Amino acid sequence: MKEKRKGPIRRAAGIAEGMAATVRRMQREREPRVLVYDETGYARLVQPDGRGYERLLETAERMVELVGEADAEAKPRRARRASASRDEP
Amino acid sequence: MAGTLTPERTARRLCELSTDARAAVLLDAAGSPAGFHGVPKSRSADLARLARELIEAVDRAHRDLPGGPPEQVEAQVDGGMVYASRTPHWTLAVVARRAALSSLMLMDLRAVLGELEGGPPIRRSTAAAAEGAPLPATEEAAAGETPVPELGLDGEDSP
Repeated sequence: MKEKRKGPIRRAAGIAEGMAATVRRMQREREPRVLVYDETGYARLVQPDGRGYERLLETAERMVELVGEADAEAKPRRARRASASRDEP
Repeated sequence: MAGTLTPERTARRLCELSTDARAAVLLDAAGSPAGFHGVPKSRSADLARLARELIEAVDRAHRDLPGGPPEQVEAQVDGGMVYASRTPHWTLAVVARRAALSSLMLMDLRAVLGELEGGPPIRRSTAAAAEGAPLPATEEAAAGETPVPELGLDGEDSP
């Protein structure tokens, strides 16, 4: 079957649709989510209105924050150590 | 035995295996911290407490879900990922970068816990140069290493 030729407006609309789909996908990927796996590796998504969902997300956020704070504290120390070792003859 | 993974070294082992792992903590069956890596000692107790709370929340959430009891959990939040895996004896939780691949991280968690429980040690591949490859990387050398016999060579010996 002969493919229908697309005009410039249709091509531009196709590109815009593709970009919009990419943005939607990226937003979906950034959304918070929780998955649990049983011993066979079967994954189940914890629904936002499910029991424990808020607690799971809150705890995970606190863990990430804690590690971020620890990293931020460690960076000045590392920088001081590095500059001290550079100053050594 | 030399090379056996100890609880104290387990969290470090996981962070060494995966470049996306930022910090990890190992809990024993009672929920007490048995080892940590990636955070200063002053914050290790907080990380262990949060990992314990995460597992408790997983068990609460599981009541509404079909299937067996969760063995692993993956939580995606702003700024990072949190994974945890457990066996009857141990729970290993890790905070990772957003770029972490879930399947790889969950596999690493299982592998490290398996090694801790006396399973086979994880083998890490090393670059050929690091092993002191004696042969230069030439086409001739590569041809000599091919495991597939070339067609017609068998017939050369026969009369």
